[in-house]
Order: sequence, then C-alpha cells, then structure tokens
Amino acid sequence: MTRKILLGALGALALTTAAPALAEGTLNVLTWEGYADPSFISKFEEESGCKVNATYVGSNDDFAPKLMSGGGVYDLITPSIDTTKLMIDLDFVEPLDTAKISEWNNIYKKFRDLDGIQKDGEYYGMPYVWGAIAFMYRDDAFTTPPTSIADLWNPALKGKVALWDDKSSIYVAARLNGDMDIYNLTDEQIAAAQKKLLEQKPLIRKYWATAGELVDLYKAGEVVISNTWAGYQSGLLKAEGIKVTEFIPKEGAEGWMDSWMVVKGTPNKECAYKFLNMQLSPLGQCGVANINGYSVTNPVSAKACMTPEQYKDLHQDDPAYLDSLMVWQPLGDRFEAYTNAWNAVKAQ
Amino acid sequence: MSHARRNLSGGMVLGIPLLWIALFMLLPYGIIVTFSFWVKKYPTFVPAFQFGNYVTLFTDPQYVLVLLRTLKISVLVSVASLLLAYPFAYWLVFRCRSAKLRTWLYMAVIAPLWVSYLLRAYVWKTILGTEGVLNSFLKSIGLIDEPSSIFLYNQFAMVVTLTYIFIPFMVMPIYTALEKIPANLTEAAADLGMGPWRSFWTVTLPLSAPGIAAGATLTFCLSFGDFIAPFLVGGPDGNLIANVIATQFGAALNWPLGSALAIVMLVVVLTIVSLSDRMERKGATGGI
Repeated sequence: MTRKILLGALGALALTTAAPALAEGTLNVLTWEGYADPSFISKFEEESGCKVNATYVGSNDDFAPKLMSGGGVYDLITPSIDTTKLMIDLDFVEPLDTAKISEWNNIYKKFRDLDGIQKDGEYYGMPYVWGAIAFMYRDDAFTTPPTSIADLWNPALKGKVALWDDKSSIYVAARLNGDMDIYNLTDEQIAAAQKKLLEQKPLIRKYWATAGELVDLYKAGEVVISNTWAGYQSGLLKAEGIKVTEFIPKEGAEGWMDSWMVVKGTPNKECAYKFLNMQLSPLGQCGVANINGYSVTNPVSAKACMTPEQYKDLHQDDPAYLDSLMVWQPLGDRFEAYTNAWNAVKAQ
Repeated sequence: MSHARRNLSGGMVLGIPLLWIALFMLLPYGIIVTFSFWVKKYPTFVPAFQFGNYVTLFTDPQYVLVLLRTLKISVLVSVASLLLAYPFAYWLVFRCRSAKLRTWLYMAVIAPLWVSYLLRAYVWKTILGTEGVLNSFLKSIGLIDEPSSIFLYNQFAMVVTLTYIFIPFMVMPIYTALEKIPANLTEAAADLGMGPWRSFWTVTLPLSAPGIAAGATLTFCLSFGDFIAPFLVGGPDGNLIANVIATQFGAALNWPLGSALAIVMLVVVLTIVSLSDRMERKGATGGI
C-alpha cells in the first residue's frame, strides 16, 4: 500500500516535471564528447533531414542514473563494453535489426562476438570505436622510459603519479600482483589489489576523473605518469606542446569498446537507423577518429577515409594488437565487490 | 460571501507554500527514507524492509572514516571563517568611521556570491598549484627555491577554498548581530569602569552570540554537504561524505546505501541546527 502511494506520488512528480516532448525527426543522443561532433554531424543532418541533439556524459556511470530518472528523453546511447550488459539487463535498450545496418558484417568479428552486447541470440549494441587504457609519461621526467605498471609504484615519483578514479584501478593493481584474470578476481585477489593501491596512495597526486582534468594535471606540471585513454589525452597534450609518450606496460593493458545502443521505445527508429549507418560509414568512422584519436570498429570504412599513416597509427591493420588487449567485460554481480574495494581505497 | 472569499485567499496564501513544502521537501525525504531500507540486487535494487544498509555504514570502517573526516573539515572551515569574519565585522560596525567605506567593504565580501561557485573553486587551483600564483610569488621573494606541491590537492587546500567560498555566510549574520547592539550599552559599561576588553567579553560578545551561532551553522552545514571542493582541489585523501553518496547513486548504482548515508547526514545536520537554535534563543533571552 505504501508502495502504491509512493509510486503514485512519483508519477505525480513525473507529470509536473514533464520531459521535453520527443519531436519526430530529432535524435537525442546521450554520448561521449566527440561522438556527435558538428564536424561530421552537420553533414548528416543535411543529408538525412534528421536533427541531432547531443548530451554528453563524463563517465559510464552516468548512463544508468540518467535513463532511470525517466525514459522517453534519449534515443541513442554509447556505453562502454563493461556497461552495455547492464543497459540490457535494466531493459533500457532494444534489440538491433542488424539487417538494417548495411556494414554490420564489416565490423571486426572480435567485437561482434562480445557477450556484452548480446542477449538471447540478439544484438543490442553496434560496436563503434575502441582503444586501450594505456599508460603515459612526461618525456622530460624520465631518462629511462617506464615499461611496467610497477613504475607507478616507484617511491621516487612521490606526489607525481595520477590514476583514473574508476574500478579499472583494481584491474591495474591486480595485474601488478600477477593476477591476470582481471575480470574474474576472487575476493582474496580483490583484497590484495586493494592493499596494493593503499601502498601506492602516498605517491598519488590526484585520482583523475575526467579527460580534461588529466590534461590539466600534466599541463600544470603536477604529474608525470598515469594511465590514460590511449590517443585522446596525449593528443590534447601534444596540441598544447607538452611532450608525452604512451606505452603498453609489460603487464598488458585493458581494452575498451563503445557501442551505439537504441533506447527502448524510441519513436525515431527511422532516423536512428540512418544515424547508425552513418556512424559506421567513412563519415562517422573518420569523423570520430579525427576528433578523439580513437581506433574504429569498421576497418573497411577506415581504409577508405584514413591516410595509410593514420590507419597504421590507430592499429587498424594490426589484429595482434587488438588481441593483446584485455577487453573490458561486464562484471555482473561481482561489480559490487570491485567498486566497494575501490571506494574503500579512496575513503582511507 | 466575502467571508468565504477571505477564507479562500487565506487558504491559498498558506496552502500553496504548504503544498510546495509537502511536494518538494517532505515527499522527497519520504522517498529517501523508503529507499534506505531497500536492498541492492543486480542490476539495481529491490524493495525491502531491513536495516542492512545502516549496519553496513557503521560496521564498514570506510564510511565512519569519511564521516569523521567530513566533520573535521567542516569544523575547521567554520572556525577559520569565524576567526576571519568576526574581527572584520567588528571593525566594520564599530571602528570604520566612513559609512561609504563600510558599505563598500561589506559589498566586497558579499559580491563573490554572485560569481559561480565552480569558477571560484577553480581559481584556487591556479593559485595553489605547483606552478601557481602562490609558488611563483614565494619563489620571487626568495622564500623557496623549488616550487612546492604542499598547497594543492590536500585537505589544507579544501579548507582554504571552502572558507573563502562560505565566509560571506559568516560575515552577514555577525555583522547584523553587532549592528543591533545599542551603542549606549558599551558606553554604560565604560562608565561603570570596565576596560575595553572586559566590556567586549561581557557585553559585545554575548550579545553577538546569535550571529556567531547562525554563521557557524551555515558554514558548517554548507561545508558538510560539499562535494565540489574535494573534486577540484582535494587530494587522494579528500573524499567527503557527499562524494561517497554521489558514488553510491552513480558508479555503484546502490541507491539504498546512498539513501541511508543521506539520512545519516541529515540527522547530523539537524542535530547541529537544533543545537544552534537552542544557543541562539539562549543568547537572545539570557544575554542582557
């Protein structure tokens, strides 16, 4: 009974704060900066007659709360491969009609086969871009280039280290401990990773939360080594004239991949599929590669629109590089154990 | 007829605010309280009635640790604000001869409130940073040889930033309280042979206590709920309770635990407010 009252009250609240009406022919996308950049989206808008409104997220944690607080606002979202499964399990997204996506079969098979975008034999996500969670250092701070995760635990670098404020820090520490099955860690292994991160804490200048924050930390001379979204922050820093080098440590690096997903019940199916097709075409694939410096999932389009150098720099011709990455996996009900350990490190 | 109309308009004057409070304050509190008894279950959480979330908060040391740290930071901000704001307000009210200057200085303290909070917090990064204004200054006067990293990304930076941001909320009530003290009271004290210090301790300070209580309550509560300063200028040891709540509602997707934390926070703040209220009332009646 109380629950009924509560729900009724929530409904009343929802009515009074009515969401902006979904106009047909207008796509509202909830995505990362760069994925709907005017540099290529305006051409799409002209050609398709569909308007695109982009809202940006700062982290994968933003998707669920934004969709939970009321449906009917967004048509398309781009969570990373560790979050796509959650979107499916939360019933926020609908299965894709892959027959309507003309270049579907050109997408790297490795990505199409990922569990995170499938359920009951149906696809829910269209792989779009990918990259490594690489490591990065300031050239002028090192005489011998770092090669290992252990370099982020080097006491000589006290107060000069940054680490991403994300559960991914558990993956980093686990690999340093020699626990390589980072997405299936036992409680003991997570506890060991937590201990390792606490050892590192006195060396940490800042746990960085956004791409811009990490760039600022390097720019202001606060840090000299960190992990990074390969291609992105290093590109921004190079544009500022700061020399940094990315490296894949000998303990390996995580890989990430972002997929476009269609929000359940969108009235804009036609525009949504036009948009998906555009994003896999040279317009979308090179559009995002040029803005964010990420690798793309459709090598056929990439080959058509990239210079040979860019194609090589983004590892589009190098399946071995892709295979060497430990691509993020959904943690399911183990998710809490990971986030709780990371929160405990931050709370200390 | 006119009686009925008067009833109607009277009802509207009271009714709309009451409805507003019920809809936008009491109802959300009710929802948060309800959530705090629910239980986390992948992919989200399910209705339940159990105290597990509260038990977790008081058994897992990470939450107590952050709560204590938040209390410490808030107290430090309140104390620092008081030590800076009181002499300033006192000088404005009793020592500043020019009314024009007084107005200008008072406005100078209030004016930053018109500037975005984020911007003001961000500016402290450029002041306290390793290559920031403070370091350049200390280097130029020869006090240090190498830029120091001790100013930014730690609890000191958070206290400085929060004090700067919330100090107007300390100046305003103290200024108002001091302004209301009739000048003839201190004159009478002087006539009866009290020195300036004794007259301050026994007359002015007790009479301005309600202003201090109000200012301390405001700065404490505002700091207690802050989560921007830790994000911008705090270091690895800077997590405050509001950041943990944000994490529970976002990254961890554990709204029940986040709600329980919010309730604990609410209880702490309400306790402080009612204590200060009692103090203010005591100050107002027992002072003279």
